[in-house]
Amino acid sequence: MKIIFSLLLIFGLTFANDATIEVIKKVDALPSIAVEDSSISYDDTFKLQFFKSLIADLNVISLFNVDRFHRVTHYNDTDVMVENKDMNYVLRYKMFEDDNGALNVDMKILHDSSEVFSKSYKVSRQNIYMFVSHAMAYDINEYMGEPSVEWMKRKVIFSRIVGPKKSEIVISDYSLSYQHVIVKGGFNVFPKWANNDQNAFYYTSLDDLKPTLKHVDIKTVKVTNIMSSDGMMICSDVSRNGKTLLLTMANNGQPDIYTYNVDTKKYKRETVYGGIDVNAQFMDKNRIIFISSRLGYPNVFSKRLDTKEVEQMVYYGRSNSACSSNGEYIVYKARETSNAFDKNTFNLHLISMKTDFIRRLTATGINEFPRFSRDGDAILFIKNYKSQSSIGIIRLNHNKNYLFPLKYGKVQSMDW
Amino acid sequence: MKSIVLSSVVTALLVFSGCSSKEVAVDTESNKAPVEEVVAQEVEIVETETVAVENSMVEATSNALSMTDIEAELSAVYFAFDKFDLDSDMQAKISTAAEIGKTGASNYNVKLEGNCDEWGSDEYNFALGLKRSNAVKQALVAEGIDGSRISMVSYGESNPVCSDKTQECWSKNRRVDFKLLP
Repeated sequence: MKIIFSLLLIFGLTFANDATIEVIKKVDALPSIAVEDSSISYDDTFKLQFFKSLIADLNVISLFNVDRFHRVTHYNDTDVMVENKDMNYVLRYKMFEDDNGALNVDMKILHDSSEVFSKSYKVSRQNIYMFVSHAMAYDINEYMGEPSVEWMKRKVIFSRIVGPKKSEIVISDYSLSYQHVIVKGGFNVFPKWANNDQNAFYYTSLDDLKPTLKHVDIKTVKVTNIMSSDGMMICSDVSRNGKTLLLTMANNGQPDIYTYNVDTKKYKRETVYGGIDVNAQFMDKNRIIFISSRLGYPNVFSKRLDTKEVEQMVYYGRSNSACSSNGEYIVYKARETSNAFDKNTFNLHLISMKTDFIRRLTATGINEFPRFSRDGDAILFIKNYKSQSSIGIIRLNHNKNYLFPLKYGKVQSMDW
Repeated sequence: MKSIVLSSVVTALLVFSGCSSKEVAVDTESNKAPVEEVVAQEVEIVETETVAVENSMVEATSNALSMTDIEAELSAVYFAFDKFDLDSDMQAKISTAAEIGKTGASNYNVKLEGNCDEWGSDEYNFALGLKRSNAVKQALVAEGIDGSRISMVSYGESNPVCSDKTQECWSKNRRVDFKLLP
């Protein structure tokens, strides 16, 4: 009996945190939360806008069954509203404008009629209110003792195609509610954050004779040309310390992967295959994952930077043309149909390097450009479905996908 | 504690708002170059139109064609789905292009622009566009064109000539365009 019990325990421990296994039914177990608005400044339209943003964020943290009703009450009332008395948690907040025009928000959480958590927020301008609602959701997640959703506070940078050979580079929050066009005019693609602080980025300009990699320091507003290459020049990844870049360059029309040292400005060719090698991402300091056509179709491979050995990582699918990795997990884009004459479907799949499980993460349309969050908790991706371009977030451990549609244009690539 | 949290949020957002005011300046910076190029292109179009009119008037005395006229004779090379090899029809097109390259266009360099259909915006699709450009380049070199006159670029799926969701449209987008450079 003891043996069986310990076997079950070992099995349970082995598979307990495997993200390739789907969590099918967890909804019933989630506690309920209602939100009460006690704002004193601002008009009803803005109050509702903020409320909606907060509800969306609470849904994305996937810890509660969130009540959708917008109810108004006094901030200092000791009891929750009658309608909310059966709720497990009540989040009450108060927005007010100070003399400098800054947006202030006080927030508290009530549980069993007593205040269990409170915090205050302030932003200089009303139009960046979404960052307050993201911060509130982040703090509530922390208070509930769940793994961090640090990615919620990070900025997303993406390029948007607005016409043939015309694009914009945009900085936004993860939900695309805040959008600031930072590079306008011309044909600029593949933006990539240059460091963890997100105060500089790289992008490829296709306006010059040769594709050119540029660096923009947001604080000093300085644009620097890094390097040009005939045919192709893309910054695919930046190391954690920001010192090494993984580039796809194509000297003599041959797309290969190169490393580039930011300090010495020297580059080194890492792959020498005569077909296509692209889309390199760091797995750790000395190992990369990339897409190669060395089997006659695109698939996912890995390589150590100090040896020449290349290893195939994915054994399923006939066309896997994009990937991202985190720890033992690899997410990749697979073509489900191979049809020259009709619409094609591309889905994202998740595999673990330790088990044989594959988990399909999306169902319809073209799903591409997967990017793990640094902590591996979420995957950001681009979805194009019926002329609508969106950025999506997959919460792996909660089995939930959220889509944030773009108002115009088509997302070409992004980073966060 | 509350005041520490409050001030850290304020500091963070001051930094953020500080960035955004400067970000506007980046916009102006990055706008400069493209605007200038657009102006240059417009001038070019006006010139060729004038030349065309003059040519029609003095047809007997001048056979010289403008760069745009020659470029119009260089028709795009098309490719099959997910492929970058040339079939015999396309090979014939390239032979014609090489002939033009040796005669009328002998004073110009050429930029080969590789393009793909809409199935994917990832690097692999860009590489596919580049491989198409490179296939055309190799064929041109085999026909006797000096490789140093040829540069290449890939636009992936971002430069479609047709945006309908039809088979004809997708096949029109899987192409390499010839652009002459002075």
